[in-house]
Amino acid sequence: MNNSSSLKAGRLLTAAFGVVLIAGSTGGFAFADEALPEGFKKGELAPEPAAEMIEAGKRVYFTKCVWCHGVDGAGDGPSADRLWPRPRNFNQGTFKIRRTASGELPLFDAKKPTPGQNDLFETLTHGLPGSAMPSWEGILTEEQRLQVLSFVTTQLVKDRKFTDKQSEAQTVLQLDDLKPIPATEESITKGAELVKEKKCVECHGTEGRGDGNAFNLKDDWGFSIQPANWHKCWNFRGSRQDPYNVKNIFRTFSTGVNGTPMPSFADNSTVEERWHIANFVNSLCERKADGKPLDIDPLADKPKINFVVSSGVVEGEIPADPEHELWKNRARRYVAMGGQITHKPRNFVNRIDDIWVKSLYNDKHVVFMFQWDDRTKSVATGKLPWAPTEVNIDVKEQDPKTGEEGSIATHQNNYVVYNDAIAMETAVKWKELPSPIKPRYLFGSNEQYPVDIVKWEADGSLRAFEGTGWDKDFAERDTYEENIKILHSEWKDGRWTVIIQRPLGNKKDQDYDEDTFFEMGQYIPTVFFAWDGHNGDAGRKMAVSAFYYTFLEPPTPREAYIYPVVIAFGVVLLEGWVLTRRSNKRKGKTL
Amino acid sequence: MKALMSVAALIGVIGILLLTGMILDIVPSNTVRLVEGYMPMQVLFELTLFVAGFTGLSYMLGTMGMAFPRFWQGIAFWCFILLYLKFRVYPPIPFSVRAMYGTVSLIAVFMWVSANEEDWKKFKQPIMNILDAQSGANKLLRYAYLVLLPVLIGGFSYNAMVPKSEEPIELRTVHPAPPASTKVHGKTYTLQTSQNPYRVNLEGKFDQEYSNANIVEQGMGRLMKPNANPWDKDAKGYLKYVREGGEIFFQNCHFCHGDNLNGRGLHAFAFNPIPANFTDPGTIAQLQETFIFWRVAKGGIGLPNEGFPWASVMPPWEQHLTVDEIWKVILFEYWHTGYYPRTWD
Repeated sequence: MNNSSSLKAGRLLTAAFGVVLIAGSTGGFAFADEALPEGFKKGELAPEPAAEMIEAGKRVYFTKCVWCHGVDGAGDGPSADRLWPRPRNFNQGTFKIRRTASGELPLFDAKKPTPGQNDLFETLTHGLPGSAMPSWEGILTEEQRLQVLSFVTTQLVKDRKFTDKQSEAQTVLQLDDLKPIPATEESITKGAELVKEKKCVECHGTEGRGDGNAFNLKDDWGFSIQPANWHKCWNFRGSRQDPYNVKNIFRTFSTGVNGTPMPSFADNSTVEERWHIANFVNSLCERKADGKPLDIDPLADKPKINFVVSSGVVEGEIPADPEHELWKNRARRYVAMGGQITHKPRNFVNRIDDIWVKSLYNDKHVVFMFQWDDRTKSVATGKLPWAPTEVNIDVKEQDPKTGEEGSIATHQNNYVVYNDAIAMETAVKWKELPSPIKPRYLFGSNEQYPVDIVKWEADGSLRAFEGTGWDKDFAERDTYEENIKILHSEWKDGRWTVIIQRPLGNKKDQDYDEDTFFEMGQYIPTVFFAWDGHNGDAGRKMAVSAFYYTFLEPPTPREAYIYPVVIAFGVVLLEGWVLTRRSNKRKGKTL
Repeated sequence: MKALMSVAALIGVIGILLLTGMILDIVPSNTVRLVEGYMPMQVLFELTLFVAGFTGLSYMLGTMGMAFPRFWQGIAFWCFILLYLKFRVYPPIPFSVRAMYGTVSLIAVFMWVSANEEDWKKFKQPIMNILDAQSGANKLLRYAYLVLLPVLIGGFSYNAMVPKSEEPIELRTVHPAPPASTKVHGKTYTLQTSQNPYRVNLEGKFDQEYSNANIVEQGMGRLMKPNANPWDKDAKGYLKYVREGGEIFFQNCHFCHGDNLNGRGLHAFAFNPIPANFTDPGTIAQLQETFIFWRVAKGGIGLPNEGFPWASVMPPWEQHLTVDEIWKVILFEYWHTGYYPRTWD
């Protein structure tokens, strides 16, 4: 006890001494120190990296980085035009994730790969989740990472200089010394009030799904960008592969995101307020039913995936209200979505990257509830220039190599608006497909083994199609449409909730050759598609999932209660036999 | 001898500590990375190391007069293997496969404890003690077992009978047999005789030795050779084509196959199975260049019948790229991973 307090006192003294020293050396700027925002301290600029480091880094850069960040580091490599967010332009020295005050250069010291003291090194180590920047840990050694950063910070950052004491200063957030306030209900409530007061919700949306001002935000280079969706913390660029850690949110909120409209709130909020806000934002991130964080796959930095969507049995009517107890208690499944880049028009930037699926069934119907985040409600205004069954439609694909003008990032907000939509595809006659009963192609094997697609669009339509091959147009299925029903559809605060009911299928009312029969206890191959109308998604420009399995949970059979008792009884008999034999043997008797 | 044994004992202790750390989530299981492609050998090596360690540990405990009964040694050793397989390896091994390893190691443990009559006697002694006990703790233990065993076995069988959903296991043909020839953009390419027209030396002649001398170096990072930068303004021939191939790769392929060609691209997490990892020595390093040409040109759609479950969203790239572009991309993939394409002879 004594020891630690004297240690603290010692630290305080050193800190005070440091302040005096800095104040002394900077002379007239003494008042600037007083004006430091709470939680920050003056830092020192790191020395210039050694020339060998820079030279070695060039080799790393031109093997690994140049493909996105470009020869001059202007963020214009070959891949740049098809990425959104675009790769970083290093020239201006504007870096998003830092512990330094707003507008300052990030922390980088080529000799010190210490966590917490080297922002750029951590960015390279952990990558920027939610963007194309991967984690380079395990691919490049620590030394190689420091080398390439030495090259980038000295040769490619052109407008600023990391070692120039005249123009640069470092005011460092003391993140490791600040103790988080526990995320109590009180703290979270305070945070919820503060995000309104500080106008966070104007961009991030009432529910924090990034739907507030989704279409008017631009970065320093004029490219449109979107506010973060607080419900998907694994996509936070600054999550450092530790998305549920409240410190990352505290840091971003304190230092701002350079080059974007996200300011630093260090000057107009106290440290305490910042912890409340961070706790609130963190509390919004999707969690399991018991409130624990979702399991994150360390190789993908996304929630772990289970490919079985299991459907629960219901006696009687299946409720149409998503707030109904039966729906609320039902386990939900995370379905990951990737861009459809097999077939033109390809979707390099899919704005829907996951959906949540729940399912219930009774003796007649199986019902699916889809929930997914979409910053905008999109309903096509005019008549679509093609039939809904057409898949090979003519939505122009942007050419790469056209520089900023042709890039996806510039076009992002200027698309013709189509309908938001969701669809599920199930295999027909799946039992006859070879194990593991997946159709040959994503859109059906052939005429003999088609798939059955049910698609809902934001204009309220619900259609059924038949898919018979990879690049075949869909066939409209009027006979099935009267059997399916939309129970609920609503867009609220950046989230769609859509409930679709379809028949289980039986030989009497349905056609075995065209409809999917949902059988209890069987694995039925299922694919999900999603469209974001404001992303110009139409036809096959969409987000797709892998093959999942719909599984109708059978009720517990009576045998499950009888056999275990019989088995346990058998074990008791066996025990008796062993013991008698043993004791007889000991007594010298034989049976 | 003793020194050797104490070193081994130290390894054994480290092994136990590591595993405990991994189970309690204190030590991340990827502290020592599993090298992609060599995972089984690496895990086998680690386990062998720890087996040697445990031998040492048991010997040291024996000399210190704290001998660990053979019975518990056997059980502890088996548990160690099971838990190690569960907590060490990521992505996790399916339960059915672990059960197989578990059975094999159970047999191994049995062979070890019953190697000779004396060992076997030692092994079964604790069981006999409990069966024969007339008084004391062992007698209590016997009654506890009498109750617990039926309850546990009944519980397990109930658990096995309650309906559950587990992902069906998919077996996959990784490299299906290629056709003899493939027709791309109206021209037929015989796989055995076709060559990558861009694998050329400075004189413009097909020269695999020249290109092999200019690929990136193996080893951590797989960096390019210092004097072979495809982005050099003066780069000619092979290296220039590598750069052009890279441009195409980073406009079309990296979304799935990843910035580092390791199958971990932006969209990869959504797909099952995940896209091919070219840095793995089991993919392009095992194949001829023309095989890749066929797979790239025809995609998942062009997989032969025996290639099921066909779960591939690989586009037939002939619909998006020209023949030249496909050859260049292939050139880039071999350059960037530092592998040589296999030749037909």
